[in-house]
Amino acid sequence: MTFDDWYRQDRLPHIFCAGCGNGTIINCTLAAVDQMGWKKDDTVFVSGIGCSSRAPGYIVTDSLHTTHGRAIAFATGVKMANPDLNVVVFTGDGDLAAIGGNHFIHACRRNIDLTVVCMNNQIYGMTGGQGSPTTPRGCFSTTTPTGCVEMPFDLCELAIAAGANYVSRWTSYHVKELEKAVKVGLETPGFSFIEALVQCPTAFGRRNKFRQVADHVEYLRAHSLLKAKRDRLIEAGEAVPDDMFVVGELARRKRPALGVKP
Amino acid sequence: MTRTEFWQGNTACAEGALAAGCNFFGGYPITPSTEVAELMAAKMPKKGGVFIQMEDEIASMASIIGAAWTGARSMTATSGPGFSLMMENIGYAVMTETPCVVVNVQRGGPSTGQPTMAAQGDMMQVRFGSQGDYAIIALCPASVQEMYELTAKAFNLADQYRVPVFLMADEIVGHMREKIIIPDSMAKTPRKALVKGTLPFKPDADLVPGFPQFGKGYGVHVTGLTHDERGYPCTTNPKLHEALVRRLVDKIESARHAIADFDIINPDARQVFIAYGAPVRTVQQVMHDRPDKNIGFLRLRTVWPFPEYALAEFKNAKCFLMPELNLGQMAREVERHVRVPVVNIQKLGGELHTPAELVAALEAHR
Amino acid sequence: MILAIDETRCKGCNLCTKVCPYKIFKEGKKPNRRGIVVPELDRPERCTNCRLQQLYGRTLCGVCQLTCPDQAINWIEEQPYELKKVAIEY
Repeated sequence: MTFDDWYRQDRLPHIFCAGCGNGTIINCTLAAVDQMGWKKDDTVFVSGIGCSSRAPGYIVTDSLHTTHGRAIAFATGVKMANPDLNVVVFTGDGDLAAIGGNHFIHACRRNIDLTVVCMNNQIYGMTGGQGSPTTPRGCFSTTTPTGCVEMPFDLCELAIAAGANYVSRWTSYHVKELEKAVKVGLETPGFSFIEALVQCPTAFGRRNKFRQVADHVEYLRAHSLLKAKRDRLIEAGEAVPDDMFVVGELARRKRPALGVKP
Repeated sequence: MTRTEFWQGNTACAEGALAAGCNFFGGYPITPSTEVAELMAAKMPKKGGVFIQMEDEIASMASIIGAAWTGARSMTATSGPGFSLMMENIGYAVMTETPCVVVNVQRGGPSTGQPTMAAQGDMMQVRFGSQGDYAIIALCPASVQEMYELTAKAFNLADQYRVPVFLMADEIVGHMREKIIIPDSMAKTPRKALVKGTLPFKPDADLVPGFPQFGKGYGVHVTGLTHDERGYPCTTNPKLHEALVRRLVDKIESARHAIADFDIINPDARQVFIAYGAPVRTVQQVMHDRPDKNIGFLRLRTVWPFPEYALAEFKNAKCFLMPELNLGQMAREVERHVRVPVVNIQKLGGELHTPAELVAALEAHR
Repeated sequence: MILAIDETRCKGCNLCTKVCPYKIFKEGKKPNRRGIVVPELDRPERCTNCRLQQLYGRTLCGVCQLTCPDQAINWIEEQPYELKKVAIEY
């Protein structure tokens, strides 16, 4: 069995734009789920609203496509009512960090046994490219026409501070690493958060000098700094470059968790 | 053996839910409904159910919908400000046909208003508060006994019609203590399961599709977007959207006779009181003090869908008197269905009408 | 097994041309019936996964398949190899 068996073949091709990274992240997540050996009957995918949240509609299992930002709250209900189900949440940066921020930090605090995969494209894609809480400073969007002046959220730091058991960040370029990270997240009891930076050629790349999809993916690759390398830089007393983001496993711990299968 | 207790309305509500087999409660503290959550937190785990206190009312409504899809009988309790927050996910529950129960112990509004005083200000919000056209079921208890019975009934209605059912209590009924007789057991309508192999959102003859519970191998996709009978989003087909919304409304509206629960007293009367919730008690006092065949009473337990055919029972009615703890929310609904004057006896501030006020209205419109 | 691009799914983003370590995917030249320029395969027999996945019983590289956002890349069973008759002229 491969991850392709988890797709609703009758619904493909999906609605994502050409070059959108969301499909890659769904592939990696499903590949990890497939490796877990979970039954399709026992697995539930939950999502909110946005590009990323269309994902569960393409997966054969039971799935819940909910209201904007509330995916984790719905997933909490599903998991608490039936801990035997394996619950995976797909979400995006606007969904998770803006409207759903409160549900996110409280799920981390509760450390409920969910795996949350956040496709962070740094923009509101489905509504046509408005600035999101993770749009980097200086980046252009329809609501930041002169460049974003606000500081972006670091979702992983937020999840660690709020108490998630497993936190990692990768990009749509690092498919193998992402697949492994999701698998570790699925295995970890408690709240697992995997942030995947993805390219959005239609809404983000077009306005931010990434004419080609490959340019944006290359940017993600070139600007990702391995956690081990960052730690070495800090140890050596050298400066960590400002324009780079840390990738890798950022937290793994064993805080008491809620809703774990008995 | 039935037993007798002396309980608060909110206690009766929680006990009624437990008797009805409620096994998931997602709550958030809010005066005057907090006692329901407190009692659930204490008793639910002992009965094998799950109590979870969520981070806000939006999340508690979301959690009970999620739990309902795993087959649980789920419920939350709130009051006006929290109810406003729930509106988003109530619309979702309607669109996805999720059976769940929401208790709203109403308090004075708008906004934070009067946390410890009663009102009936959410009667329109419960029907029209979320966006789009839809229909729901709302019940109004007037005593502690009814808090118990109607809560249990709400679960059965929710499961039968796959719709969120609302128990629109008020602070007076919620916090009042009175005698309650507890029956041995409550009738329980099972949720109709989806026949394997049929489309998950294809309705049966009663316009209600079978329930595809999560974890049972149905592989159902549940979405708040306009969906076809397979459950897949299909948002740009005007005919499909119209058919879906009409069905969601019709499945409740066409069952109004089966859902309706009301008492008719003195159907030949010339002056007729209509009341629901706490004002029922004042009307009962007036009826008790003045045994007069010319004073009728339509006592509603089901408020939505509004049983308008009950009004036609009062053939000699010259006017309808409607005491409400708001500025005439349900009176407007009554006015749509009758040709005689509807006198709305409004009361704001959190206290019940006095019998003298109702008698004065009787005299004024004789 | 042989590498194949499902033309009904491919949206022509050319990400596969970037990630394949053997550069098997080449940017296409002609738009297909749906107006999408589907990448071409340059000697797909070089793909390690094509040759060895049945021998090893697992997917060996598979980066193109994981990366493809449109689930268009797959390995399909090869058609039985037909011997070609070659007329040798003396």
